[in-house]
Amino acid sequence: MSENTKKQEADATQETSPQEAGCISRRKLLMNGGKVGGLAAMSMLLPSQIFSGKAEANQGGMVSAAVTARTVRYPRTKVGSLSALKKDRPVTIQYPGEADGQKALLIKLGEPALGGIGPNQDVVAFNAFCTHQGGPLEDQYDAEKKIMGPCEFHLSTFDLTRHGMMVSASAVQNLPQIVLELEGNDIYAVGVLGLIYGYPDNMMGV
Amino acid sequence: MSNAGRNVTYSQDLPKDRVPLPPSDAEIVSTACDYCIVGCAYRAITWPVGKEGGPKANENAFKVDYPRTESLVGSWPSPNQHTVVLKNGEPHNCLVVPAISERVNKSGNHSVRGGGIAQKCYSPWRATSDRLQQPLLRVRGVLQPIGWEDATTITAEVGRYVFDKYGEMAYGVKAYSYQFYENTYAITKLALQSIETPVYAHHDKPSAQDDASGLEDMGIDTFGPSYDDWSASDVIFISGTDPYETKTILFTEHIMEGAPKLVMVLPRKSPGVTWAEENDGIWLQVTIGTDAILHNAMCRYIIEQGWQDQDHIDHWAASDEELDWGMGRGTRNTPWQWRSTRWGASFKKWKKWVLKEKYAEMDVAVKMTGIPREKIIEACKILTGAGKKRRPKTSFMLEKGNYWSNNYLNTISFGNLAIICGAGTRDGQVIGRAGGHQRGGVSAASYPRSKTPERFGKIGRKALNVDNWVRSGHVRFMWVIGTNWIEAMQGSQDLADYIKEHTTGSKHQVERFDVEHVIQRLKARADAGDMVLINNEIYLRTIGNQFADLVMPAATWGEENFTRAQGERILRIYSKFYDPPGDAKPDWKIISMVAKKMGFDGYDWKTSEDVFKELARFTRNSRQDLAPLVKYAAINGKQPYDILRKRAATGYQLPLRLHNNKLIETKRLHNPHVHIDSGQGITTKSKRSGSFTKPSGKLYLHKVDWNLFGDFYDRIKPKKDKGELWVTCGRINALWQSVFDDMRKPYIMQRHPMNFIEISPKDAAERGIENGDIVSLENDEVYVQVGGFYRARHKDFLFTNLEKDGYIKKTQGSASAMAYVTSVVPPGTTFMYFCWPGGGASNSLSSAVADPLTNAPRYKLGKAAIKKIGTIPDYMKKRMTFKEKV
Repeated sequence: MSENTKKQEADATQETSPQEAGCISRRKLLMNGGKVGGLAAMSMLLPSQIFSGKAEANQGGMVSAAVTARTVRYPRTKVGSLSALKKDRPVTIQYPGEADGQKALLIKLGEPALGGIGPNQDVVAFNAFCTHQGGPLEDQYDAEKKIMGPCEFHLSTFDLTRHGMMVSASAVQNLPQIVLELEGNDIYAVGVLGLIYGYPDNMMGV
Repeated sequence: MSNAGRNVTYSQDLPKDRVPLPPSDAEIVSTACDYCIVGCAYRAITWPVGKEGGPKANENAFKVDYPRTESLVGSWPSPNQHTVVLKNGEPHNCLVVPAISERVNKSGNHSVRGGGIAQKCYSPWRATSDRLQQPLLRVRGVLQPIGWEDATTITAEVGRYVFDKYGEMAYGVKAYSYQFYENTYAITKLALQSIETPVYAHHDKPSAQDDASGLEDMGIDTFGPSYDDWSASDVIFISGTDPYETKTILFTEHIMEGAPKLVMVLPRKSPGVTWAEENDGIWLQVTIGTDAILHNAMCRYIIEQGWQDQDHIDHWAASDEELDWGMGRGTRNTPWQWRSTRWGASFKKWKKWVLKEKYAEMDVAVKMTGIPREKIIEACKILTGAGKKRRPKTSFMLEKGNYWSNNYLNTISFGNLAIICGAGTRDGQVIGRAGGHQRGGVSAASYPRSKTPERFGKIGRKALNVDNWVRSGHVRFMWVIGTNWIEAMQGSQDLADYIKEHTTGSKHQVERFDVEHVIQRLKARADAGDMVLINNEIYLRTIGNQFADLVMPAATWGEENFTRAQGERILRIYSKFYDPPGDAKPDWKIISMVAKKMGFDGYDWKTSEDVFKELARFTRNSRQDLAPLVKYAAINGKQPYDILRKRAATGYQLPLRLHNNKLIETKRLHNPHVHIDSGQGITTKSKRSGSFTKPSGKLYLHKVDWNLFGDFYDRIKPKKDKGELWVTCGRINALWQSVFDDMRKPYIMQRHPMNFIEISPKDAAERGIENGDIVSLENDEVYVQVGGFYRARHKDFLFTNLEKDGYIKKTQGSASAMAYVTSVVPPGTTFMYFCWPGGGASNSLSSAVADPLTNAPRYKLGKAAIKKIGTIPDYMKKRMTFKEKV
């Protein structure tokens, strides 16, 4: 774990503390399609309810222990700076750990994305392995379409403006999105949405 | 018509960041995917909630170390492969993951459909919690729970009454053809053996007929090829399907591995087309409904150039005399006999025909198909090698885009092309269907074709068009098993109108739970010429929710032991691994309870395996001959299910033979090199194993008469002055059948929250339509054939004459969908998902006038005027993707 990494505490009340204000708005962005306003009350909710309370209701009251906080148990790691990013020029980062499978791409898409940070909400990061069968996607960023893929193994593609949702896929999970925060010019990775290929737990070995 | 239960359910997937590993002592059973034809092998792993395995190989049931990040190694469960089910009444973790198999899905490959199949399982805590759990009776218009005793008594007594009083022609059964051998056997035992009704049709068509009828007429078993044959081909001509989208593992594991050049004939671009074009293949973007013209023109061009495989033709194409084999002086009244008598031809005669046929001229083809001349010629070169010394090994694959637009003509013309290009019998030179659902049908008796009034000309018999028979008012009792009868059939809304009027619209309604009262009211319903409707289902769908008198809950995949074969005839066991919801029972059990109460013998099965042992002999001599397995088990004191469990993912490739106490599989049908040891004992010496299926064993070329279709085609084409566009339909990768499972999978619903229509940027702009807009689709020319079963002369069956004689009703159809503005479809053509329930049913927009030669449906030929009527909520629009898949 690098120096500018600190473990976040698995304490829901932390979510609303002034120190974590940046974090809260990140989560609101993730669940609210980029709009910060209008869901102030939501920031008071527990992490398990934050991601999409409405979707849960629609799913017949799906409640799962696995829908835990997406960020509270992850390290806070500096992964880059805003000014150093060039549009459509992905930068390889490591998150949450240093293992090969935890390689990710930090990308300035040039168009707003769900979970995007920066003034244009266009800076995102995704794990670099296909969630179908682990195909390497590091060189598969399609700058024109803002998708990752097609994976050279079985042609899966993922929409980087939509939390890594499949566009066309054999994969049965979104491409894991690295949750980012901006502090001044510094970009921090603070969590992962979705399970990284090959891992039973993203934090294994971290 | 609204959807039962759920309609537009928008959900955002909640991506999880960990998944429980199964402990070393978790129970693992072998199964296979419930969805597409490929039937990938899977493992279902269950263990009690509260326990978890560890990441070290000795701590988990996969026996591997985690993280397991090497590519393509399998055994990594994704969170969507995990659910929580009930097993022996207790909550259990459940993982359903691909098997590591030597066959089909090697290296743990899976599609997006099967990969998430764990989310199909009934879980009281998840979106599947609305599975049907007990029989429901409609009392005072509302479905309410009753017990099995009453439910089966009502079904039996009312059914028996209708059968006794009005005969079998008033007793109809509409059922899936594929949802496991044990169930289809039981259903056909009741319908075709005990009741002997011809009012019987499968889920996907109005009549019990072959799908690729023309190929069957030519002697080709459409599931003859093995998957290795597709890998071994140099070239594959693929008509009316993108196997990447819809038989994904066939494409990604077998076709991509062999990397043949693909000649793809489709009106719309999809990912498989992109792959084909990037790998030296070619895309022929055909105008909807004109495939036969394309095939004819290609045949003619190839013959003109002398590029045909003359050795193959000389050896395998039937002579005039051989065409007559087996028919002698008989009546020639079975469908293939009367059709081949009229249109079958020796190569010499066929060649003469094709060289002078107007609808085989290149100029006509260019105009009608919309494909440039040079592309058609290029395709001919790719298929034949253009006279080069080494002819490529060329195979031919077709599916519903081909045979559900113009069934007979498309399939015989496709077969002609395949035969002259040398395909049919050899490794990498095969002809077959890609397939849709798996092959789980076995019939306990022949279809009683002689009882139907359907006649083509004086003698040509056809299977009864059940929808037409119902609409004509002949059916008083209808049992619908595991299919969305309404949305699945053409002219859906007119069919729904009829059903509504004669079920919930009848004045004879049930008002109390008392069984005598119920039976009396439903008998009165039948006596009044209305219809009693029974429905076996796993969820409440339109037919059950809105119209059925009685809905019985079925136990399905994973909830009972079943067997079935997949697209290259591999038989596997689909083991039970968790509890069915509530009181749900397998369909064979429901049938048996009702049949016994109707007074029929031979339904005393205790287990699925009892049914399996009984049905084995009904598979003899067929492509799915599994009787040798049951015999082998008996000889060796074993149980067939145990043998299948041991074979697990490998299964047995059918048909089986038994020789020296060994089971021998069949890799490919129509293989003249196969050595069939004997016809002794249980082993049958099936013609289809060593040659083609017709009496001479040869391939039958056929003439193609466009005029049998032309007048209908001209009538149902979109009218430009009314702003109409083609509305064709089909499967897409992420969705299965009527989305009954998918609408309960958040991962799938975030991607496809509602039915969609792909519309070209040009057509969209002209109508002011943008991505995410909701559009109405209206067709005021949905023709429905009512009556006209028997016609004296062939020409009486032409659409024009049917209409003139009053057998065609003009109705109206409407649907709505969300727009994807995309260049994957050309201007003039749109595409919808094929069987979305409720108001999005594409089949509302096409005419219920079946191909008169085969009674096959023509689902792909819808059209509509399209208008923006709204837009999806911002919330949805921001979260779904509008990126093109190609």
